[in-house]
This record gives sequence, C-alpha cells and structure tokens, in this order.
Amino acid sequence: MNTILEAKELTKFTGDKESGQILKSVNLQVSEGEFVSIMGPSGSGKSTLLYNISGMDKATKGHVKLDGQEITLLPEKELSRLRLNEMGFIFQQIHLLKNLSIFDNIVLSAYLAENNSRELINKRAIELMEKTGILSLKDHDITQASGGQLQRVAICRALINQPKIVFADEPTGALNSKAAAEIMELLIEFNQTGTAILLVTHDLKVAAKTERVLYMLDGNLVGEKKLGKYQLNKNDLREREELLSRWLAKMDF
Amino acid sequence: MLIKILRRDLRKKKSITSVLFLFVFLAAILAASGTGMISKLFQSMDYLFTKAETPHFVQMHAGEINKQEIEDWAMNHPFVSKQQTVEMLNIDGTKLLLGNKQEPEINSVMDISFVKQNEAFDYLLDLENELIQLSSGEIAVPVYYMVRDQLQIGDEVSIINGNERITFTISHFLRDSLMNPSMVHSKRFLVSDEDYQLLKVHIKESEYLIEFLLKDIEQLNNFSQSYQESPLPSGGPTLDYQTFKILNGLTEGVLAVTIIFISLLLIVIAVLCLRLTILATLEEDYREIGVMKAIGINQAYMKKIYMSKYVVIAATASLFGYLMSLWFSPLFTRNMATYLGLVPRNIVDYGTPFVAAFLIFIFCLVCCRMTLRKFNHISTVEALRAGKTGRISKGQGNFPIHKNRFVPINLLLAIKDLFSRGRMYLLLFVVYIICTFIMIVPVNFLNTIQSSSFINYMGIGKSDLRIDLQQSEDMSARFGDILTYIEKDADVEKFTSLVVKRLKVAGSDGRLENMNVETGDMSLFPLEYLKGNIPNKENEIALSYLNSEELNKDVGDILQLEVNGEMKDLIVSGIYQDITNGGRTAKAIFPTDHEQAIWYVISLNLVNDVDVSEKIKEYTKVFHPAKVTDIKGYLAETLGGTIEQLRLLTIIAIVITLGISILISTLFVKMIVAKDSSQNAILRSIGFSLRDIQGQYVMRLLIVLFAAILSGTILANTVGQNFVSALWSMLGAARIEFVINPVHAYLLCPFLLLIAVTVTTLISTNSIANNKISEMNAD
Repeated sequence: MNTILEAKELTKFTGDKESGQILKSVNLQVSEGEFVSIMGPSGSGKSTLLYNISGMDKATKGHVKLDGQEITLLPEKELSRLRLNEMGFIFQQIHLLKNLSIFDNIVLSAYLAENNSRELINKRAIELMEKTGILSLKDHDITQASGGQLQRVAICRALINQPKIVFADEPTGALNSKAAAEIMELLIEFNQTGTAILLVTHDLKVAAKTERVLYMLDGNLVGEKKLGKYQLNKNDLREREELLSRWLAKMDF
Repeated sequence: MLIKILRRDLRKKKSITSVLFLFVFLAAILAASGTGMISKLFQSMDYLFTKAETPHFVQMHAGEINKQEIEDWAMNHPFVSKQQTVEMLNIDGTKLLLGNKQEPEINSVMDISFVKQNEAFDYLLDLENELIQLSSGEIAVPVYYMVRDQLQIGDEVSIINGNERITFTISHFLRDSLMNPSMVHSKRFLVSDEDYQLLKVHIKESEYLIEFLLKDIEQLNNFSQSYQESPLPSGGPTLDYQTFKILNGLTEGVLAVTIIFISLLLIVIAVLCLRLTILATLEEDYREIGVMKAIGINQAYMKKIYMSKYVVIAATASLFGYLMSLWFSPLFTRNMATYLGLVPRNIVDYGTPFVAAFLIFIFCLVCCRMTLRKFNHISTVEALRAGKTGRISKGQGNFPIHKNRFVPINLLLAIKDLFSRGRMYLLLFVVYIICTFIMIVPVNFLNTIQSSSFINYMGIGKSDLRIDLQQSEDMSARFGDILTYIEKDADVEKFTSLVVKRLKVAGSDGRLENMNVETGDMSLFPLEYLKGNIPNKENEIALSYLNSEELNKDVGDILQLEVNGEMKDLIVSGIYQDITNGGRTAKAIFPTDHEQAIWYVISLNLVNDVDVSEKIKEYTKVFHPAKVTDIKGYLAETLGGTIEQLRLLTIIAIVITLGISILISTLFVKMIVAKDSSQNAILRSIGFSLRDIQGQYVMRLLIVLFAAILSGTILANTVGQNFVSALWSMLGAARIEFVINPVHAYLLCPFLLLIAVTVTTLISTNSIANNKISEMNAD
C-alpha cells in the first residue's frame, strides 16, 4: 500500500520551550485506505497532532507529506485548495454553518471546488444523504436535526469532494452509544470504499473498530497496536476490544 | 475585577474601540464648539452693544426733518431715556475708491454713507471696542471692507465727485452695532467733525437715523406703537434692538447651527455603531451570559460589566472632545472676533461646551442602557443550548444556494448573508448614503458653477462675446464708438447693447431704494425665466428673484420706478435668476438717456468660422479699457473666487466622506468578523481560503455600497439640488439645475468610495487568518 500521509519529526511549541512543547518530534504514516485511530489521555496532544498534520494549524518544526507532496511549506491558498480537494474533516462539536440549510452545508465545499457540475454535486450529495440515512432532512435547517443526524451531515460534507483522507476529531464524543455506533459503522463503510481515515478518540469501542491504534503520551507517539481491518457483520468485535483493552492497560491508559 | 475585564476587552477589540471613540470624539468636538460659538456670540454681541450703546429704536428717514419737534416729543415721552438724530451723507458706490483698488464700487449693492461720531449713544467703535476719535484727513472704515478688500491702516479712501477728489487715510476700522453684518446693505464710514462739514458741502444727498434709547427695553413694543401714532417722520424703515441682534447673530449663528447639526449627524452614527457593537458583543457572549445567569450572577452586575466599557469610551471621547474644542475655539470664532470683538474668556466659555460634551456622554449612556435591555430577554436555557456560536440566526431557508447553478459560491454566500442579516447592514447602508450625498452634491454643484450654462443664473443670455464698459469720464462717447465699430464688423452675426442705470424704486415700505436696471433689446440673447417672460412693452419690467422677493412683487404686479425724474408704474413681466450685483437687478425696454448710466454691456455672436479668442484679442486692443470676455471668461472672472472656495469645500467633503466610510467600514467589518469567527473557522476548515472569505466580505460591503451609491446619487440629484437651490436663493438663484459630469459623479466618486471600502475591508479582515477551528474546539 502506498503511503498517503507521512509526518516526520513534527514538533509544536506554544509559549516557552520547557512547558509549551505539545508535540515532540512525532513520526507517523498512514497508508492509502487505512483506518488509524489515535488514543491517549487528555492533554497528550492527540488533537494538536491531527490539526498540525492536516495543515489546519502550523507546526513549529517537521515535515508533512500528503500523497507525496510536502505541505508544511505550502502557502495558505494552496493549503486551502488541498483541504478542499484532498482532505475531509469531522469534529466532535457540530461545526456546521448556521445560516445554511442541511443540504447547502453538504454541497458548499464541492461548489467551491468546481470539480463537477452543480447538478452532479447535488446528485452525489443526495446519494451520500441516502447512505447516511438523512435524506428526509434535505430541505431542513440545522436546528431541526438531532446531534447524531448533524454528525451524519458533517460526514456527508467531509466526503462530498471524495477526499483521499478524512481527519476525525472525536466524532462520536458528543453522541450516545447507539448514535456513536451508527456513526462508526458509516465511517467503516466509507473507509472500505478506499478513503483513509485518521481518527482521534478516547473511546475503546471506537478504536477497536479501526485497523491500527496509536497511543500518544505527553506529545509523543509511544505505542502502536495493529488490529487489522474490521469487517462489519463479522462477530469479532468483542475479541478486538479485549485485545485493545489489554494493550492499553499495558500502556497505563 | 471590573477593571481587569475592561482592560482585556479594550485590548482585544482595539479597532472597534478606536472607531467608536473617534465618532463620539468628533461629535463631542463639534457639539462643544457649536454651543461654545453660540454662547460666545451672545456674550460678544452683548459686549459690543453695551460698549456701543446701541439704540433700542431707530426710524430711518429720507427727506426733511424737524429736529426740535422730535426732541420735544422724546423729552415728554415717559419711556425715552436718550434721543438723537443722526445725519448720514449718502454717496453712490461708483464715487468711492477704496485702498489700492482703482475701480469704483460699481458692482456693490451697499448704500454708503459718511457720518461723524455720535455724541450721546450709538457709538462707532474700533477693533478694541473703544470709541473712535478722528483727526482731520483720517477715516474709519467698516470691518466689512477691511475683510473684503484686505485693507490696512494707512491705506487711502477717495471720494470722486465730478472733477474733485477728496482723499482720506484709514486710521481705524470700525465696528458698527447697527450695520456691521455683511447682509446689511448700508455701511457707515466715520470721518472727523471738520471733514464731515467739508463733505456736507459736496454731498447733497442725506438720510437721517432718528434714534431712541429707552429707559426699559421691555417697553419697546409700546414705544414703537406710540411712535407710529405720532406725527414724527417715518419716510423709511423702522429697526429695533432685536433686529440688530438677529442681523448681527445670523451669520455666525448659522455656522454654529450647521456645526451642531453635523455633530448631531455624527452622534446618530456613533449611537447606531454603539448599538450594533453591543448587540454583536451580546451575541458573541451569548453562552457566557447564560452561564453567568445560571450560576446566579446578578443581572445588574453583568450589565455593569458591559456598560463599563462604553462608559469609559463615551466619557474619555467626550472629555477629549471638550478639551479639543477649547483648543479649536479661536478658529471657529475668528470671524466673530473680527466683526464683534470677543469678550475675555470666562466661566461660561468653559461651561457651555462642557455641558454640550456632557450631554453627548449622557446620550451615549442612555442609548447603551436601552440596548442592554436585551439582557432581560436572554433565557438561560436558550443561551446555554445555543452554544458558542450564539443564537442560530433566522433565514437559513432564504435564498438556498443549491438552487443556483451559475453564480460563484462566494458571491452566493455574500448575498445570502445580506438577506439573512439585512437589518444589520442597514446602518452601513444609511451611512454610505450620507457619504455619497455629501460627496456628490458639492461635486455636482462645482461642475454646475463651472459650466457655461451657469450663465442662466447670472441674469444674462448666452452669447459668444460680452463687452463691459464701466464708468469713466467719456463713457458714453466710447460706447458710441464701440457700437459703430461693431456695426461695421463683418465677423459679427448679431449684437445687442444694454445700458445699466441705477434708478430709484419704491420699496415695500414706500421708501425709495437703489436698483440696477438694465435697458435695451433683450430678445436677441434670451434668458430663461423662473416665471413670466422678458419685458416686451415699454411699461414692463422683469425683476431678479431676490428683488421680487424683497419688493414682494410677482408677475403682473405694479412696480414704481423713478425714470428721468418721474415715478412710473411698470408691470412685472417676469422673474429671472441673477446672482450678480447682490442678486438685485431688473430688466426693462423703456427708452432711456445715458444720464445715469453706470455701465454698458454689449453682447454679440460671431459668424461661424471666426476664432473667438482672436476676436477677444482684437476687441480688447481696440476698445481699451472696456472688458472683453467670452462666456467662460466672464464666468471665471465673476465667480473665480467662489469656484475656488467651492473647490476647497468639495475636496474637504470628499476627504470627510472617505474618512467616515473608512471608519464605519472598519468598525462594521471588525465587528462582524469577530461575530463570525466560528463560521469563518468552519469555512476555512472545509477549504475556503483567506482570500475567498475576504472576498465574501468585500462583496457584501460593495453590494451595500452600490445600493447606497445609487440611492445617494438619486437623493443628491433631487433633494441635494433643492438644498443647493434653497441656499443659493439667498444669493439670487432659486432654481438651480445640476449640470452633471458623469465621469466625476458616476465614475470617479463611486470609484473613490469603492477603493476606500475595498481596501478597508481587506485590511480589517486580515484577522480572519487567526480564526482556527482548533482553537474553537479547545474552547
């Protein structure tokens, strides 16, 4: 498998060097179509790593390559273009545009990218909504949907431009366990269509469904557990969770 | 705690704070200066009137009087404290030479008279407001002429009477509490008693001022009535103390009121900005307010936190505005100092502007308090549920973007925002309209006054050339020569000659007044009339707008004019606009001799292929010293000074307009960017570049600006045109129609506003780069 995302010695300081080093020379690789999760205690730097590796925030030192292209030195405009076409984002909080309808929130970035006609974009948005079970909300405002439904909207938005990689920061963190499980199933489905996913989570049940789990502590990636691809409808989830639980116990989680 | 929050808030929102400060500061300066001027005006007027011992009642009279009879009546009248009868020797302006100016006062509408210093009251004062005493050969000249002609002590004033010339040296400039203002068309020159006797021998025309000083000014109305009922002279207008006050106060008063009006405009903008900023802040802090309410923090205390910032801004801005107004005060009162003299600074001079600035402060506070009443409507639960991004705004359903196939997405988002937050943009729209109006009106008027069609407002028809022959010893002979030359000139297509005479007209109060009347054939170069037509019959006369107003005559009315020594009844045939000669002219076709002619005008058109400039050269040489000009030259010569002043005013208006649009755009954009921080972070996270988002803001503001420019331009060309006409009606042109230079009005001015708004928006939106979704999540 080709490497889609590669971070080398990624370092981030805020304030003084002693207390403010959030990332300490982090190295990381994500392959095409891979589903990787990052776990770790609060304040370990998981989200910071996600934002720095995706170019959303600027790292102090180090390099990031996306599909072989160095992105740390790219100007803002090109970085935006890259975020638009090659990356998708899903957040814990529902970051949707409040003055747009649900459908408009989904198609917005595709209209900006102009890779397809607006008719085709609308068609793809409807497909995605159908897949995620929110087609009935097409003409609704975002105030008329539940948290779980809005997270599905965010997934549709992240996938509308068919990105190579999706970054997800605690996508199930604000949802109940049933909604969280449904969201994870959707992500697994989309991952199986070839989209790589890098996900940050606290939740063992979520991480157990990913292919590889990285453990972060004090700004360092200190461990890695390969679980292999999780097949939906295959009854090995409990086994994966136990395996991961034991490993995390070893990591003092 | 409060100071800490305040400091942090002021630091965080420097630009918004600065703009709010600036608006309140400017409003405070102007309000304090305007009220300061009014207070100074009243004090200075009182000071001058006290020093001059201004009469309470004056009856002007032209004709014989019996001094003894007046004195006896006054002595027996219970209200009268003092009485005097002042004789004034009147001369025609054409006989007066002032300073280095060699030309007589031909174009002036002033009635000029010579007097000696009064003995009992109504003193003529010098620039220190002290009584003037003159020696023989000295003259004291009214400040009006000092300012107009920049006269100096030591300059000469000559009176030409036939072949005689009497020359005086200016030793003082005088303040005359009765006739000081430029709008009073009589001016008194003071000479020594001996010189007065000498002048009396040469000047036969005289007029009297029968003046009374009352024991109690409250009795003025009763006294006036008793004078009217008496058999005493009344061949002229009556004036009283209140009239003198109004006349003296009007010019400065109008300026002060204008300044206060501008300050009100600014304070309205400032208050709208305050309201907008407070609402935006409340929306930004919506969740925090909910949290504070939830944990039981007293609502009054929360309001205090929010109020404190605006109290500090309004208080410092008002205070600095007040202090600055004290520093500016000499600039605003310069004209007043010349005409009235200033009383030494006192507590009132400091107190009045302070009260004005304080009222500005209070007004800001009241508006803030009223806006903060919104606090009461914030429900704790709703606020907590709405979360960090504030209340969900209405209008998601308006203008769905997926229904549009072609419009670029950034423009779509800009339009959508305008639809969903229209009310917020209203402030910007209104201010941009004001800016466009303030910019376009002077630009259009400047273009109008510079265009050749402005001749319509100068009481003359359009012709290729104009020859003005002013008074000289052999004027009529020269006039004849010129006519003979022109008649033989094959280059001349058509011409007409007009004689201007100064004739006596019976005023509305029956008193005879001077009026310049142009006689001759006016049909060749016709003029546009406001009402009626040109005089076609010998018993008809057309009046300039100001004359018709002052004489209270309309088309069809009868006017009495003294022609060749006889009073003649003439019918008013038409009213035209004329700003020359103080706006007081008339046109008639009755036959006339050249006896009282004060100048001649010949208007002519040349045949097609003749070079006008060459012809001007030829005529200037041949007809010397007559003035030969084409229409443009005539306009430039007559209106040159006004055009220069107007050009300066236009530049100032443009600078102020651009300044206000930059300030308001900065404030608005900074505020809206702060409000939209989370939305912008989301846009950036899904691939919108800084440029894209900045572009959306620029588009939003430009759409508002375009709409405002359109509305402002329409207003400028309608309301603005009427406003200019109303102002210029005081000078004689009551219906001005703008001649618009489309490049200036429709391209250049909008372009300047466009550049100012675009650059300001781009600079003010740079901070969007700091809106990071990572920080939003960290919150």
